[in-house]
Amino acid sequence: MIELRNVSKLFGQTRAVDAISLSVQTGELCVLIGTSGCGKSTTLRMINRLIAHSAGSIRIDGRDIEQIDPQQLRRGIGYAIQNTGLFPHWTVARNIAVVPRLLGWPAARIRRRVEELLHLLDLAPAEFAAKYPSQLSGGQAQRVGVARALAGDPDILLMDEPFGALDPITRESLQNELLRIQAQLRKTIVFVTHDMDEALKLANRIVVMDKGRIVQQDSPQALLAKPANAFVENLLGGQERGLKQAGLLRVATLMQVLTTAAAPLAGPRIKATDNLRQALSLMLWHRCSSLPVVDEQGRQVGVLRLDALLDRPR
Amino acid sequence: MSRRALLRSDAWQPLLWLALLLTAALGLGELDGLFRLLEPDSRTVIYGRAAFIDLLGSHLLLVALAACVSSLVGVGAAIMVTRRWGEDFLPLVSQVASIGQTIPPVAVLALAVPALGFGNGPTLFALILYGLLPILRNSLAGLRSIDPAVLEAARGMGMAPLQVLCQVELPLALNVILAGIRTSLTINIATAAIGSTIGASTLGDPVISGLVTGNTAFILQGAILIGLLAVAVDSLFEQLQRRAPGTGQAK
Ligand SMILES: Nc1ncnc2c1ncn2[C@@H]1O[C@H](COP(=O)(O)OP(=O)(O)O)[C@@H](O)[C@H]1O
Ligand SMILES: [Mg+2]
Repeated sequence: MIELRNVSKLFGQTRAVDAISLSVQTGELCVLIGTSGCGKSTTLRMINRLIAHSAGSIRIDGRDIEQIDPQQLRRGIGYAIQNTGLFPHWTVARNIAVVPRLLGWPAARIRRRVEELLHLLDLAPAEFAAKYPSQLSGGQAQRVGVARALAGDPDILLMDEPFGALDPITRESLQNELLRIQAQLRKTIVFVTHDMDEALKLANRIVVMDKGRIVQQDSPQALLAKPANAFVENLLGGQERGLKQAGLLRVATLMQVLTTAAAPLAGPRIKATDNLRQALSLMLWHRCSSLPVVDEQGRQVGVLRLDALLDRPR
Repeated sequence: MSRRALLRSDAWQPLLWLALLLTAALGLGELDGLFRLLEPDSRTVIYGRAAFIDLLGSHLLLVALAACVSSLVGVGAAIMVTRRWGEDFLPLVSQVASIGQTIPPVAVLALAVPALGFGNGPTLFALILYGLLPILRNSLAGLRSIDPAVLEAARGMGMAPLQVLCQVELPLALNVILAGIRTSLTINIATAAIGSTIGASTLGDPVISGLVTGNTAFILQGAILIGLLAVAVDSLFEQLQRRAPGTGQAK
């Protein structure tokens, strides 16, 4: 668990972070969001002591981080950043091995760990282990960046706009990857972004920051339902809010379940695991007010009606 | 490395030049007949006040000694001013590095004489001073050109400052630093020759003596050896630079 209590950071006269209090539960994926310059990165870097905080206290699992040797602290916290910061003179394998080497693991264990992580991030070891960062695409480099952050098996992961420089398709696949990995590993993650769709998709909790302060912190659903002020509302995309909210809900939650199994069907249909935003889009496209819902094998398991979307309680 | 790869890799080039240099230093004295063609009227056509090999030795010693000191001081100063605690000196040091470059080596040499007198001492001093500048400039450029994201990652992973320096900064800057040492050596091999005018014993001796007595053969002998030495050292550094940590891109 990470606890920030009344934490401030002053750079000369500028208050980059202004008395914020925040606690991130173990296993939680907490997203910090806000416009550029609002203090997100500063907050993140104070957690691993890359920046010393000016006031307040930061505790990790109850221990004040000022009591922990900074190098020791950082080796226990994964760190991934936007421009990857991969070491250009080292191979992918050597890059991933950085923290295990600093931790003094034996060579055989490091080799196994590197291989395991390459598999986890969907990078074939035979193809990628010996490559240099300059030989990777943006998406591959960022996968290596995430693998490197996970290498020492830290409980905590700090990620500063890790997917910010990627094209939308690559970004989406890495977001899915992160969700898959998080479901598997249950790390405590603090993730910085300025992209609300990314925040809504990934977060257990969204922390909205503005001018160094926390404006609101809530679950994605709660944030969409009750934005604290015009700034948050604006960040949520104003008129697009309805769609963003629909994007958070699965078709399965609102469909009418079929009691008898039906034959495979042709024509428009939607998967139970898709979200309501996709369902709505299909209805608009096909000019229909109901869609058959199918499972992974293509068997119909229910029906989704437009009425159900409209009658949904707030 | 297979013999094929060795031949193709040019790695043998410095050895070739070194062999040529040694052959010239030991064999020029035997080419009496050849140099006689150039200077039919002179009493002697082979510079004889010192053996070429001894001159080569003391020339090389001066240059190498100067290069060691300048490298230590230059790289050291560059490291110092790129640390958080030394950054106050950064403007001063970069200014010195760029101003120093515009002063010609002869001027440095001339200035050393009133301070240190004649001989090897002032020449060494001038070489150190003058050779320092390209090394300092390149080391600064190399260290400061490293992507800040890489340094942030290095610190963020939990590397200690010395580990960041030795494992990340110096390897990434090495190529540029080596280029600086290479420039410094090239300049100083020539500057050391001028050192003969203030009494240092170098390969400049036959050249100066030839100029004074109007003996073209002497001048040529010195020039050949200085030229070969410069080429040999340069080709050695070319190979060293190729072995500096790369980024995996085809070079
Ligand atoms: N090292 C620094 N020195 C001075 N000011 C800084 C430094 N780092 C950040 N700032 C300032 O602090 C504020 C917050 O920066 P940052 O945390 O990087 O914002 P964000 O990540 O939200 O875009 C900005 O106004 C920025 O200019
Ligand atoms: Mg930032």
